[in-house]
Amino acid sequence: MKKLFIFLGLCIAGMTAIYVSNKQQKVDYSTQVKPILNKNCISCHGGVKKQGGFSLLFQEEALGKTKSGKPAIIPGHPEQSSFIQRLHSQDPEEKMPYQRPALSEEEIDLLTTWVKEGANWGEHWAYQPLEAPSIPAGSWFEKALAFVGIPASWAQNDLDYFVQAEQKNQGLTHTDQAEKADLLRRLYLDITGLPPTAADYLAYEQDDSDDAYEKQVDKLLKSPHYGEKWAAMWMDLARYADTKGYEKDEARSIWKYRDYVIASFNQNKPYDQFIKEQLAGDLLPNPKESDYIATAFHRNTTNNDEGGTVDEEFRTAAILDRVNTTWEVLQGTSFGCVQCHSHPYDPIRHEEYYKYMAFFNNSRDEDIPDDAPTYRHHAPANEKTIAQLKSFLSNQPLATQKAWGQMIRFVEPKIHPHWADQFENGALADNKYLAIRNKGSARFMAVPMMGKTKLLIACRNSGPAPTYLNIHQGTKTGPIIARIKLDTTLQEKYAKPKGLFVKGWAYLFVDIPSLPGKQDLVWEFLNAKTKPEQTTATIGFWAVLPEVPGQLKSTAFEKLALQAIATEPEITTPVMLENPADYTRTTRVFTRGSWLNQADAVQPGIPALFKNTPVTNRLDLANWIGSTNNPLTARVAVNRFWEQLFGIGIVETLEDLGSQGLAPVNQALLDHLAYKFQVDFKYQPKAFLKYVVMSASYQQSSLVDESTREKDPNNRYITRGPRVRLSPEQLRDQILVWSGLLSRKLGGPSVMPEQPDGVWNAPYSGMQWKKSDGEDQWRRSLYTYWRRSSPYPTMVTFDAGTRDICLSRRIRTNTPMQALNTLNDPVFLEASQFFARKYALNGLEFIQKGYLDLLGRDISSSKAEKLNAFYAQTLAYYQAHPKETLAFLKLCSDNEKPGDAANLVAKTLVANALFNIDESMNKP
Amino acid sequence: MNKLVKEAIEKEAMLATRRHFLQSLGTGIGSLAYGSALWGCSSGSKGQQASTRIPPHFGKAKSVIFVHMAGAPSQLELFDYKPMLAKFDGKECPQELLEGKKFAFIRGVPNLLGPKAHFLQHGQSGHWISDHMPHLATQADKITFLKGMYTDQFNHAPAQLLMHTGSARLGRPSLGSWVSYGLGSENENLPSFMVLASGGKNPDAGKSAWGSGFLPSVYQGVQCRSAGEPVLFIKNPDGVNSDIRKASIDAINAVNEETYAEFGDPETVARMAQYEMAYKMQSSVPDVMDISKEPAYIHQLYGTNPGKESFANNCLLARKMVEKGVRFVQLFDWGWDSHGTSKDGSVDFGLHQKCLETDQAVSALIIDLEQRGLLDETLIVWGGEFGRTPMQENREGQKQSFYGRDHHTEAFTMWLAGAGIKPGMSLGETDDLGYATVAGKTSVYDLQATILHCLGINHEEFTYPFQGRNFRLTDVYGKVINPILA
Repeated sequence: MKKLFIFLGLCIAGMTAIYVSNKQQKVDYSTQVKPILNKNCISCHGGVKKQGGFSLLFQEEALGKTKSGKPAIIPGHPEQSSFIQRLHSQDPEEKMPYQRPALSEEEIDLLTTWVKEGANWGEHWAYQPLEAPSIPAGSWFEKALAFVGIPASWAQNDLDYFVQAEQKNQGLTHTDQAEKADLLRRLYLDITGLPPTAADYLAYEQDDSDDAYEKQVDKLLKSPHYGEKWAAMWMDLARYADTKGYEKDEARSIWKYRDYVIASFNQNKPYDQFIKEQLAGDLLPNPKESDYIATAFHRNTTNNDEGGTVDEEFRTAAILDRVNTTWEVLQGTSFGCVQCHSHPYDPIRHEEYYKYMAFFNNSRDEDIPDDAPTYRHHAPANEKTIAQLKSFLSNQPLATQKAWGQMIRFVEPKIHPHWADQFENGALADNKYLAIRNKGSARFMAVPMMGKTKLLIACRNSGPAPTYLNIHQGTKTGPIIARIKLDTTLQEKYAKPKGLFVKGWAYLFVDIPSLPGKQDLVWEFLNAKTKPEQTTATIGFWAVLPEVPGQLKSTAFEKLALQAIATEPEITTPVMLENPADYTRTTRVFTRGSWLNQADAVQPGIPALFKNTPVTNRLDLANWIGSTNNPLTARVAVNRFWEQLFGIGIVETLEDLGSQGLAPVNQALLDHLAYKFQVDFKYQPKAFLKYVVMSASYQQSSLVDESTREKDPNNRYITRGPRVRLSPEQLRDQILVWSGLLSRKLGGPSVMPEQPDGVWNAPYSGMQWKKSDGEDQWRRSLYTYWRRSSPYPTMVTFDAGTRDICLSRRIRTNTPMQALNTLNDPVFLEASQFFARKYALNGLEFIQKGYLDLLGRDISSSKAEKLNAFYAQTLAYYQAHPKETLAFLKLCSDNEKPGDAANLVAKTLVANALFNIDESMNKP
Repeated sequence: MNKLVKEAIEKEAMLATRRHFLQSLGTGIGSLAYGSALWGCSSGSKGQQASTRIPPHFGKAKSVIFVHMAGAPSQLELFDYKPMLAKFDGKECPQELLEGKKFAFIRGVPNLLGPKAHFLQHGQSGHWISDHMPHLATQADKITFLKGMYTDQFNHAPAQLLMHTGSARLGRPSLGSWVSYGLGSENENLPSFMVLASGGKNPDAGKSAWGSGFLPSVYQGVQCRSAGEPVLFIKNPDGVNSDIRKASIDAINAVNEETYAEFGDPETVARMAQYEMAYKMQSSVPDVMDISKEPAYIHQLYGTNPGKESFANNCLLARKMVEKGVRFVQLFDWGWDSHGTSKDGSVDFGLHQKCLETDQAVSALIIDLEQRGLLDETLIVWGGEFGRTPMQENREGQKQSFYGRDHHTEAFTMWLAGAGIKPGMSLGETDDLGYATVAGKTSVYDLQATILHCLGINHEEFTYPFQGRNFRLTDVYGKVINPILA
C-alpha cells in the first residue's frame, strides 16, 4: 500500500515536470541563433573580417558602435536595430546577407525575437560547464513500475534511457538483443581488437548463467590485448610514427611511447593522469622514467633533416603542431585558424593562440637530427654508474642535483652548433656540426654563463695535429676565457676507459671562469697543420655546467659523469624537457601567423573563454585540462570512445565540438556519459567502457527493418547494433588469429611484416624494409613499422592517415583497391593457406566448420552451397593443372609438401573468400 | 545480383561524370564530390556540406598531366636566357642581392655563374630554348612559359609540398586529390588520379605529394610501379588465372547478396560493386600500363624501352592514361638537383644528362596528344619546385668542384601546354642577372588557381570543411593567370 502511494506521488511529480517543461521558452542563443549567424553572417562579421566595423563574435563587439557610429543591435528594439532591418531591405547595397540569398522568414523571425528578448548572448553548449543531466522522463515511471514489482523496460542502465528518449522524439525504437555469437564477436573486436576463437564462441555458447555476458566483459577488460586495441586508437591522435617525416624520413626510436600508451590503458590509468603525464610528465615532482616517456606524445611531431633547412623554422612548426594537436585531441576544438587571426567562429582571440603556444615554447628540442633531448636508456652496467652519480648528488643543493642530474641522464641542456653566427672561414657542416678552418671563428650569442664553471665539448679532430681552440669573451679580440687543446690523441687517450670515445666523438670537460649573466662567446680555431680548405676540429655540441660540488671533487664524480655522457645508450626516446630558466625563450604573437613576423611578447595563459584560476605553465595546463573545471575534456573523450564502439560519434565531428562542428545528435546522452566518466568513474576508461557495453543500446542486433533504416540510415539514434567495417589493424589482426599465425607478444620495437619490394623509395635514405624474422612478422598491426612517407599499404588503403599530423577520425571508404588488397596481398593469402591447413575436412564440411569457427554461427545452406560450388570448380581446375597448383603453393614459406596439393589450393582460395565476405569485413 | 551491382555502378557513374556535374548546378559541392557507393564513402552524412556552389564556368581541360622535375631544374640553363649573366661570370655577386637573404647552402659572398648552355630562339613565338632541349625547341609554339614564377620555400620537401598541396607542411590534400574529389573519373575502371615516378626515387615530399590529406583516402593518387605489379596487389597470385579470380569474386558476392538481404546495409552492395570493379581493374590497369603493344613509330617518337623504368615510358603511359579518361596524372622525375657537388649534379654535364633522358619524351607527349586530338582537352604542366641561383654554389663557404647552383625561390620557369592555354606565349621577366622576377610575377598558388580554372573549377569556391574551417587548395592566396588563358 505504501508502495502504491509512492507510485502515485511519483506520477504527480512527473506530470508537474511535464507541465513546467511545456512553458514558452526563450530563444536560445547557442542552439538557435548562433547556427544562423555562423552560416550567414560571420564570414564577413566575425573573427577574420569585420565589415562596417561590425562583428558578431563577441557580445561587446556585437553591441558596440559600428562604423556608422551607432550599434547595429539595440537589445529589446528590433525595429531600431539595423542588424534586423537590413535583413528586410530590398536595396541591394543595404540588404543582408550582402549579395547572397535572403534569410528565410523563420530565421528572420527568430533573430527578431532574440533581439526583442534582449539579444542575450549565450555560450556554445560545449563550453558550458559539464553537469549531470537528469535521467529522461519515462525512466522514473519504469523505475516506479519496477519498484512495485512490474518488470521494467528494455533499458539495462541509465544511458539507455537517454537513447530511448531521443528515439521517442524521432519516432523510432530500439532493436532486440543480438544473438550470442554476434555479440561476442562485437565485444571481442571492440575491447581487444581481436576476434574470438572457435573455443571462445563455444565456451560462451555453453555458459547459461545470468551474468555470462558480464563475465566476458570483465575477462576482456583484463586481457593485455585490451591495451593494444585502445592504444591503436591513440596512435592516430598522437601522430605516432617510427620515422621523422619529410625528405629523408629517417628512423626515430620512439616505440617506448607506444608501449607506454598500451601499459596505461592496461593499468586502467585515469584519463586525467594519462593527460597529465603526456603533456607534462617531465614537470612532475620526481618524474619516473615512464613520466618522461609519456611526454614523447608531443615529440611525435615531424623533424626536417633536409640539408639547408632552418632548424628554427621547423622547431616553430613543431610547436604550432603541439598547440593544434593539444586542442584537437584533448579539447575537440579547432585552434589552427587562430594562428593567423581571431577564431572565425568561436570566441578565441588571436593573441590567445600565442599565449597558449607559450606553454609549449620552452621545451629543449630544436629540430635536431638526433631528436635531442632524448631519454637515454642504458645497459645495466651504465645505469649503475648513473645510480652511483645520483647518490653522490643526493646531498647537494637542489639546483646542482637538477643540473647535473639532467646532464648525466639526458646530456642537456646542449648548445647546438646552429646557435652560431658570424662565421669566419668556416660553416655549419651538414647543417649540424661546427666546422671551422684554421684561424676561423664563429660566435655564440647570449650564452647563459652565470654560475657556470664547467664546459663540456663533444669534438672530433681528424687532422694530423692538435687543434687549439680559444674561446673569447664578447668579440674575437675580446679576452680569452679558455684555451683548449683538442688533441688528435684525444681519441686514444679517452678511448681507454671504455665508452669515452663513441662513434668518432670525443668528450671533454674544461674549467672556465665564472662570468655574469649572458655572454657572447667567439670560438676561434687554430691548427696550422691543416690545409686551407680543411676543417680543424668539428664540434658536435657543447654545454656549460655549474661547479662540481666541492666535496665531490675528491671522488671520481667528474670521471664517472664523463663516462655516463660519452657512453652510447642502448635505446633513446625523444622526450620533453623544459628549458632551464636562463635558456627561456620569449614567445611573441606572429603577425598573420608568420613566424618571421613577430610582434608583442606574451605570457602563457588559456583563452578567456574559460573563466578559471590562472594557468601559468605546462603542468598547470595539464592539470586544468584534466580537471572538472574543463568543460571539454570529458565530452571529447567519451565522444571518441563512443565512436570506437558505435562507428560514429554522438558529435560526428570528433575533431570539433566547437560551434563549427556538427551539433550533438543527443547532447543529454553525451553529457550523461561525460559526467559518468569524469565524476562517477573517476576517469577510469575500463569502468566507462564496461558501462557502455553493458547497456541494452550496445547489445542490440544489427538486423533492422526497412522503415527504421530509412528513418535512421546512419544509426545516429542507436536504433540497432553498430555494423561497421573493421579498421585495417583489425582486418589484418583478425586473419592472423584465424590462421593461428598471430604472435601475442606484447610491446617492443616496431616490426616489419611481409611487404612487396619497392614500396619504400625515399631519396637520400638508405633505409630498407627488411622482413622481420620468426613470429615478429605476425605481430599485431599496431606494431608494424610506420614510415611517414610510405606507411604500410593496408593501412593507407583502409583509410588510416600518414600520421604527419594528428587524425581524429578516419573517414571510412569502400574501394576496389581494398578488395585487391584483401584478395591478393601475400599476407592475406598466407593466412588463408594456414587456415586451410588447420582443417582435415574438405568441401562443404570445411566451409561449414570454417564459417562456424570464424563467425560463431552456422552458415546458411545457400551460402554454403555457393562457396562449395566455387570450391568444386577450383578443385577441378587445379587437379587438371598441376603446374598452376605448384606455382600457387610457392607463396608460402612453409615448405612441407601437402599430400593433396590441388585440394589445398582450392581450400586456400575458399578460405580467402571467407575472409573477404561482408560478414568478415564488418563488426556484426 | 548482377542487376543490383549494375544499378549501383550506373547510379554512381552518373553521379561521377562531368555531364552530371554540370547539369546539377546549384547543388552543394558535397554532391559533386563523387561516389558515395562506387568509390564510396560510408560515413553517411560527411560532416558539413560546404556552403559553396558549383563553379559557374566550364573548363576546357578534362585531364591534367603534371610533369614534375624533382630537385628543380635550372631555368638559367634551359629557358631564361641571360647574356648579361655570362658577362659577369666569375665576378662576386653584388652585395645588394644577398642582403637579408637566406640560401640552402650558399654562405658568404658567392660568385656569379654564367649560363652553361647555348641559347637560340625558336618558332614563331621566338621562345629562347637552350641546346639542352633540342626536341622541345621544335614544339616551341605550342608551349607557354611562366618565367616569373616564385615560391617561398627553398628546401625540396616543403617546396614540393607547397607545389602539390598548397602548404609547405605535411597534411593537406594534393592537387590531384582535390581534382578527383571535385570531378571524379571519366573511366570507372581506372583510378582517377595516377602517379608515376622515374629517376630511381620517389620525390622528396614522399607520398604526401599525392596524398589525400583530410579528404577521404579514396582520393589519394594511386602510384603505378615500374617493377613488379603495375599497381600494388593488382596481380593475382601465381597460379590463379582470371577465371578463378572471377569465380571467387562471384562466390563472395553471392554470399554478400544474401547478407544484404538479411541486413539491408547499403555498404554491402557497395562492397559487391567494389569487388566487381577490382576485377575489371585487374585487366584495365595492366592494359593501360602495357606499352609493349604500341606501334614502333610511337616507341621511336618517345624513345621508350618497354620493361624498363624510364621517364620516356612514363610519358607514354601518361598519354595512355588520359586517353582512357584518367583525370590527373602526376609524373615525377628525380635527379634535377644540380648543386655542383658531383659531375652528375652539375648544371652542364649532369643537367644535360637529365635533358637527354627527358627532352624527347616530353616533346613526344605534346606531339602525340596533339595528333590524337587530346591536346585540346589535356593540360600539361612542366617544372620544378623552385629555381636555381644565378650564383655558383659555395657550400660551406668553399669552392665546388663542378658548376652548380643553389636552390632559389625568387625566380624560376615553368611551362604549360594544351587545354585552356594560349600557345606560344611567355609571361614574366627576370632582371638582367636572372636573380629576381621584375614583371609578370606568378606564385605557386597562382599556378594552382590556373590549373583548377582550366578544369572549370573556381579555386576560391572549391572548399572542404575540416577542423572548423573551409579549406581550399590555394588557402587564402592565388589569382588565375589570365594573360596566358586561351
